[in-house]
Amino acid sequence: MKLAALSERFYSLVSPDIPNEWDVEEVMEPFIEESDKVCEVILGHIPVIWPVSHSLCYDFLRQAPEALTHLSLEQLPRWAGVILDIYENEGLHSAQRFMQDVVKNHISKLEGSGGLALTSVEKRLLPYIRGIAREELQVVSARETYTDTATIYVPEELRLFQDNDKNFLLYKLIFTYQWGYIACGSFLHTAPEGLPLFSDKEDCLWLREFLNSFAHPPLARDIYHLLESIRVKFFLHKELPGLMRAVSKLLFPLHSPVATEGTAGVFLSRIQQGLTGDETTLHSLLRLHLTPSECQRYLDGKATAQDSARLVPKLYSTLEETDHDYIPVPPLPFQGHLKLKAVETARKVRKEKMGEHFVDLMATYLLSLSPEKLENILKDEERDSGNTGLAESDISMIMDSEFAQTAAQEKAAPLLVTINNEALELPPELDTFTRKFLDEFGQLPARFITSAAGKAGEGMLQGDIGGQEEDARQITGTVIYDEWDYRRQGYRKNWCSLQCKELPPVHSPFIRNTLDKYHGLTLRLRHQFEMMRSQERFVKRQREGDDIDFDALVESLSDTRAGLPSSDRLFIRLKRDERDIAVLFLVDMSNSTAGWVNIALKESLVLMTEAMEVLGDRYAIYGFSGMRRSRCELFHVKHLTEPYGEQVKERISSISPSEYTRMGPPIRHATRLLQEVDAKVRLIITLTDGKPEDYDDYKGDYAIEDTRHALLEAKVAGIHPFCITIDHQAHEYMEHMYGPANYIFVDNVRKLPLRMPEIYRALTS
Amino acid sequence: MKTIEQRLDEHLITVEPYYLASGNEVEIALSAHKNKLPLLLKGPTGCGKTRFMQYLAWKLRRPLITVSCHDDLSTSDLVGRYLIRSGEAVWIDGPLTLAVRAGAICYLDEIVEARKDTTVVIHPLADDRRELPVEKLGELLTAPPEFMISVSYNPGYQSVLKDLKPSTRQRFVAISFDYPHPDQEAMIVCKEGGVEKELADSLVKLAGMTRSLKESGLAEGASTRLLIQAGKLIQDGIDIQTACRVAVIEPLSDDPELLAALQEMVSSIF
Repeated sequence: MKLAALSERFYSLVSPDIPNEWDVEEVMEPFIEESDKVCEVILGHIPVIWPVSHSLCYDFLRQAPEALTHLSLEQLPRWAGVILDIYENEGLHSAQRFMQDVVKNHISKLEGSGGLALTSVEKRLLPYIRGIAREELQVVSARETYTDTATIYVPEELRLFQDNDKNFLLYKLIFTYQWGYIACGSFLHTAPEGLPLFSDKEDCLWLREFLNSFAHPPLARDIYHLLESIRVKFFLHKELPGLMRAVSKLLFPLHSPVATEGTAGVFLSRIQQGLTGDETTLHSLLRLHLTPSECQRYLDGKATAQDSARLVPKLYSTLEETDHDYIPVPPLPFQGHLKLKAVETARKVRKEKMGEHFVDLMATYLLSLSPEKLENILKDEERDSGNTGLAESDISMIMDSEFAQTAAQEKAAPLLVTINNEALELPPELDTFTRKFLDEFGQLPARFITSAAGKAGEGMLQGDIGGQEEDARQITGTVIYDEWDYRRQGYRKNWCSLQCKELPPVHSPFIRNTLDKYHGLTLRLRHQFEMMRSQERFVKRQREGDDIDFDALVESLSDTRAGLPSSDRLFIRLKRDERDIAVLFLVDMSNSTAGWVNIALKESLVLMTEAMEVLGDRYAIYGFSGMRRSRCELFHVKHLTEPYGEQVKERISSISPSEYTRMGPPIRHATRLLQEVDAKVRLIITLTDGKPEDYDDYKGDYAIEDTRHALLEAKVAGIHPFCITIDHQAHEYMEHMYGPANYIFVDNVRKLPLRMPEIYRALTS
Repeated sequence: MKTIEQRLDEHLITVEPYYLASGNEVEIALSAHKNKLPLLLKGPTGCGKTRFMQYLAWKLRRPLITVSCHDDLSTSDLVGRYLIRSGEAVWIDGPLTLAVRAGAICYLDEIVEARKDTTVVIHPLADDRRELPVEKLGELLTAPPEFMISVSYNPGYQSVLKDLKPSTRQRFVAISFDYPHPDQEAMIVCKEGGVEKELADSLVKLAGMTRSLKESGLAEGASTRLLIQAGKLIQDGIDIQTACRVAVIEPLSDDPELLAALQEMVSSIF
């Protein structure tokens, strides 16, 4: 192909974008030598990759010809799929790295000779470690293994062993060992007795300052880390003997002592080897520098982090003398690194998070106090400081437990907070939480109490003036959804952002007028729907039941007298035909519904809700619209459990044409909402006037396929999707999206209000 | 046909059931019985609610009549009904009526599973009237002082649809049950499952781990009952890993990934 033809093809594929000519020519140039077929296959990926990232698309085109020397044309789409996955998970750089070596990164994995990826074990090991740790630890892939006490960072792939079962076991050991450091309290934040205090800043990790105070901090750090690793080893032997037994069979490729010249390096790497070996080796090594009793404490699993900290100066001085140029020993895979700065940051984050929670709880509690008491607390505040926030000197926290004699008394004693001489006894929930906070951080900063008082003050103020006028279409939440790309046969991860918004209630005579207009119809509908309501009826002549069917009994007795075989169906049973249905109406609020369509949609909703109220089925109504993937909108009209009142009526009145019709995200959201509902039958009924379409590339086959996929997801979740459309061309694509019997076409918009309740009735009875 | 005495004898507990109190629940229940107050037990599955009732019945030397509630349970199932016997309509007391007549303890297990209209029959019994109207007989039974009504439910997994009505709820003395403290739980597993202390400790550790997986999608962790069952299997010669899998892990979930994670816990602990 000629360069001009190639460029032209490129422009047509990325339209309406018009990228720089020189960029396009640069990436297209190598294709001049390629056959038309190869060009077609490679360029065929442009519409998939271009909208995700332009740079990625250029890189893909640069690498693809080279990749094809290793891959067949049929293998190319899979390679592209993996690239997109990596891009979405880890960003451009990772994707670029992946593309650079096709053989190592892609083909070897296809052939099964690669290592074990974190993604393939995460689903199994994440709940495992959370169960073991009994807290919500996170796991994130990183270049180095370490933990900051909230997250465990592990390599994204392990290829230490040939056998992936062993790599899996290693992953498990890494997770568990890192948790071990947390569980053993390795990250000391206060000074043990007998060791110097450093800064008294509340957020500094003592251990970090301690280890940094040595002339060679890496040596001190490695000594401490190794001592702690020994502790963790014995801790795990006790806690999880099964794991440690399995692990003992792993043969770790041994590091040759790196610092052969330095004795410190040799000693530390020998101890490291001892970690994977048996006790006797460790014992004899430790004996070189520790006293027998110190040694024994470690081997009995009785040593503490404080012990390790105290031993650091001793070991440091003996080892430093013999080794002035210590080269750090690379840690074993499961040991990871000791990153104390990260621990410090995580602790700070955790403190703030817990603080915020405390402020919320405290503010709620303050607001629950009697108005006089609260005013008393807050009034002083204004007088003293003149602005929001109490003077910190006005606050004190007294633990009654300080006066307690025994541990039991300490536990039972209430916590008292004194604000402006007003003593407050904390309620149980707040009390437990505060104790947890105190346990972890030593003291509760007064600023949390001042901001709680400030918040409570604002809350009181708001209560007084009855709240501010709200933003007309207030965003109540944002949810991110994947979108199906049929060309890629995979999801575009986190592609759409769906904003849940409130429709502003509108006072209008619309509802009343509609009810007047369809007065006769409403009455008829009510009657029809009443007939469908859950019924209780007696069924006669049952084998068992609540009461005797005397007719049957008399008959049976006379039969017996007459010498005939008598029936044993002598009971009446109360039978309930329960309707256990939850339905969610999704109303198209796209621009195309302007005019008659919008009115018809709203009228249908009014009649529908009237009928539904008679029927007693649970129902929800949401409108949807939006523009581009970054702003899909879902408007709340009625939640499933919300009663049908004035507010709902006013919101129905305010349904009005808005922007575009991106159907995937609202359907996915509706599916999610209905999944939480306990009902025998769950329905999503979409009311629309045309094809799914958005301002960006959400058009044609792409839009239809994504909507179809969203509907399939609903079906998988046990929800029945159904569509009522007024689009004349509906037959072409509706059947493909919803399936043959799952949509209905109403040819005359004006008939929609009449038809809709009928359709619903037919659908659910 | 059995006489009332015969039917009641079947419900009398003669051997002391093993129950390890975790707080003052026994005192409270005895006091409630003395003061003719009904009892509401709430707590997760398999934490010992039913066993507690058995123990209480034994201690009070009253028959214990247990009804497992379900959504098809009707008022007649509780109160009684006419049956046809040899050509005649004969009235048969339901468990509730039987208990009222005999001054027994009537225990409605998982009461929220019953329909709300059914649970209403216990209302007059559960307040100071202590009466049971038997409409079909035209009788109004008054409960003797020994009679006690007790209900239980699990607040953990019921949906909003299956909540107790406030009018039902606000008649009871409520005792909250939870899984016992690890040491106590290990003692229970030891005793009931017949396993060594060390193994019981490990089983309890496993249960503790499963109980913290709520956020990861496990509705309820392993109950004490499951641990006891695992202990019994182990005692009978089934190897530990298998026993834990079939008695603790598999009953908890059907999700393959969660099961795999639980299996990893087992293989780590044992």
